[in-house]
Amino acid sequence: MSSVNVVLDHKSRQLDLASEPVAIEVKDWNLYYGQKKALNNINMLLPEKRVTAFIGPSGCGKSTLLRCFNRMNDLVDSVRTEGSIRLHGNDIMDKRQNVSLLRRKVGMVFQKPNPFPKSIFENVAYGLRLAGENNRNVLEDKIEWALKGAGLWNEVKDRLHENAMGMSGGQQQRLVIARAIAIEPEVLLLDEPTSALDPISTLAIEELIFELREKFTILIVTHNMQQAARVSDYTAFMYMGDLIEYTDTDTLFTNPSQKQTEDYITGRFG
Amino acid sequence: MLRTWMREGNHWVWFNAMAVAISLLAVMGLVSFIVFKGMGHFWPKDIHAYTVQDGQGGTVQLIGELHRRSDRVEGNIKEGVTQVPQLLVKVGNRDIFGADFKWVDEQAITQDVTPKDLIMVERYEWGNFYGRLRSVTLGDGMTVTGNQAWDAFQQLIARHTELHKQIVRIQKHDIGAVNAGVEQLRLDRRRLELDNKLTEQANAKLDEKRRQLDNEYQTLLAQMRQLEQTASALGKAQIEIMTGDVVSLPIDKIIESIMPNAMTMTEKLGHYFHRIWLFLSDEPREANTEGGIFPAIFGTVTMVFIMTVLVMPFGVIAAVYLREYAKDGWITRAVRISVNNLAGVPSIVYGVFGLGFFVYVLGHNIDQLFYQEALPAPTFGTPGLLWAALTLALLTLPVVIVSTEEGLARVPRTMREGSLALGATKIETLWNTVLPIASPAIMTGLILAIARAAGEVAPLMLVGVVKLAPSLPVDAIAPYIHLDRKIMHLGFHIHDVGFQSPNVEAAQPLVYATAFLLVLIIIALNITAITIRNRLRERFKSVDN
Repeated sequence: MSSVNVVLDHKSRQLDLASEPVAIEVKDWNLYYGQKKALNNINMLLPEKRVTAFIGPSGCGKSTLLRCFNRMNDLVDSVRTEGSIRLHGNDIMDKRQNVSLLRRKVGMVFQKPNPFPKSIFENVAYGLRLAGENNRNVLEDKIEWALKGAGLWNEVKDRLHENAMGMSGGQQQRLVIARAIAIEPEVLLLDEPTSALDPISTLAIEELIFELREKFTILIVTHNMQQAARVSDYTAFMYMGDLIEYTDTDTLFTNPSQKQTEDYITGRFG
Repeated sequence: MLRTWMREGNHWVWFNAMAVAISLLAVMGLVSFIVFKGMGHFWPKDIHAYTVQDGQGGTVQLIGELHRRSDRVEGNIKEGVTQVPQLLVKVGNRDIFGADFKWVDEQAITQDVTPKDLIMVERYEWGNFYGRLRSVTLGDGMTVTGNQAWDAFQQLIARHTELHKQIVRIQKHDIGAVNAGVEQLRLDRRRLELDNKLTEQANAKLDEKRRQLDNEYQTLLAQMRQLEQTASALGKAQIEIMTGDVVSLPIDKIIESIMPNAMTMTEKLGHYFHRIWLFLSDEPREANTEGGIFPAIFGTVTMVFIMTVLVMPFGVIAAVYLREYAKDGWITRAVRISVNNLAGVPSIVYGVFGLGFFVYVLGHNIDQLFYQEALPAPTFGTPGLLWAALTLALLTLPVVIVSTEEGLARVPRTMREGSLALGATKIETLWNTVLPIASPAIMTGLILAIARAAGEVAPLMLVGVVKLAPSLPVDAIAPYIHLDRKIMHLGFHIHDVGFQSPNVEAAQPLVYATAFLLVLIIIALNITAITIRNRLRERFKSVDN
């Protein structure tokens, strides 16, 4: 119970977006699916080592925007973009940008837990091995660190070599987070990470997000406004491809400046 | 009552059940038919002694196995016909009577007995021999008669079997190796000649080697001759045949001999399995109508393995390209349609292509480039194992491509994204995640490919399968796997024994036995592949949902 209080407690701090160090800078960002415009002139600065939540009704472009930060949209043939996104000053859309390296710096966790059909150990080792790490001792150390970081170590330390597909949904999602943080990214993208989980697993993930913000810049897309209010420092509200309002979470939920934001958070639409 | 029964769809369920039952019965009927027809052949049958009226008041004796019964039609249609029951008796002794079988009217038989002293002799040539053992003449001229004759006979046969094994080993293995060496020397010399490097020195060296091999050959030949002499001096058996004449059979012409009428059930059973083992492990004799079918089993399995090795990489790589890399345009669609249609091309067309392209074009050019010293005798420019396997690989390629593509399409997008999001490149994702998850589907492709390839006969007749291959494609002579050799194949063996054989009646049971074996081998190959697939499925089962 006490951990729930911890999660709620951190809200009491004063936050000021303008004074935060910037991790990601989005400038004049437009995205098209073929002819259809999905993101409309987005401009925002995402603070380092903070949790930023993206909320908005379905189809508002929040997931699309999230997938821009690790260039997951490259996989979709019809996508065309304009503008720039800078990660610590480097343009990630640059032709010379190595996408694999970018994705090692910007990890991602998806809506549905997607562990590989391999052992727990191999799942966490996957990214490390891709990065060229094959020393057994180093792997073991890093995997222990990552699993502890994802709050999973005590549950799985005795069955690291069992198939990850045998774990519960919540455990799988934490394993996927461990897999993502094992390669020590700078940014962690969470795309509705709890929408497929039960309330208890959701709580575990939320606690985890709270702990991870010490080390990583976290961007989370969520449908659940309570969740956004609970876990994030800053919240962006999007609607129809536009960024409507972006400020610290307390202000956005208690005193929104835009009518659309207010309508959405009070449940008048969406 | 009936209406509700039908409204619940029960009649459809019954139809379905009936359809399944009919299919099952058809399969079981087929298998049990060939098992019954084929496996009965190896059972040591009783030898009958029939006393038959010869139509002129006298009687003759017929000794042999009852092969089958059938009716003969007598008379003509206008005056009415009568059916006369007949027996077909396998009297053997083809070298004396001219044919193995004799028809006899059942009415003409006055006596039918199975005396215990009738023996069946299996020979290396001329088929079976039936009669009564009278006496055995040993090598030193001593003659054994009466009760001891049978024991002496068996001992001599056992000794000869031992000698025969040694002779065959020298002939096939040792002399075979020397011959391969001689041939290699000839090719070496010819190669040097073609390269204009055949100096006096090299020539002398080759001559020296040749002399060594010749000496070796002479030694081996002398050894073999001596063994053969020992074998032919083992002795003779005097056997009374059904006409009353006594025939002298040299021991070295005999494989084995039994007294089936005197055998107990256990002895018969033992002999039954012994004969099945010989059938599986021995080489064919007498234009394939006797002996075993080991070379055909070996050829079939080797060819299927080589085909697997050829078709899997090509099929999987092609499917990966089509599904993962090729842009979905009209060309891709056209290629996909063509691949699907290739599966429907009659197999003989593949055979013609294999002969025309692989053998005559590819093989000819390979010979020109690498085996010039052997020309004009072709090495790869003639049908052989490699071309047979390659033709079958081509034939089964569509199956592998289609199932691999389906498997790749079923890999969830989340798996690919999970891997890519960790910084894996596309090829790393394919290799580490997508292909392992798709592996059960790839194995399904392999299973279908094996099932189709192992049963294929028509194209193989054009590209490398022969009636009788002198040597196995794998042996102890370098390079151990001889892809250029012609092979025997069970499917073709069935065709050959059943339809091209000089002694169809005698070969018929072998056709069934071979057919049964072919089915067994295909089942075994399939079960192996299915077991592997199920293991993979078990590992990746939770990915599918």
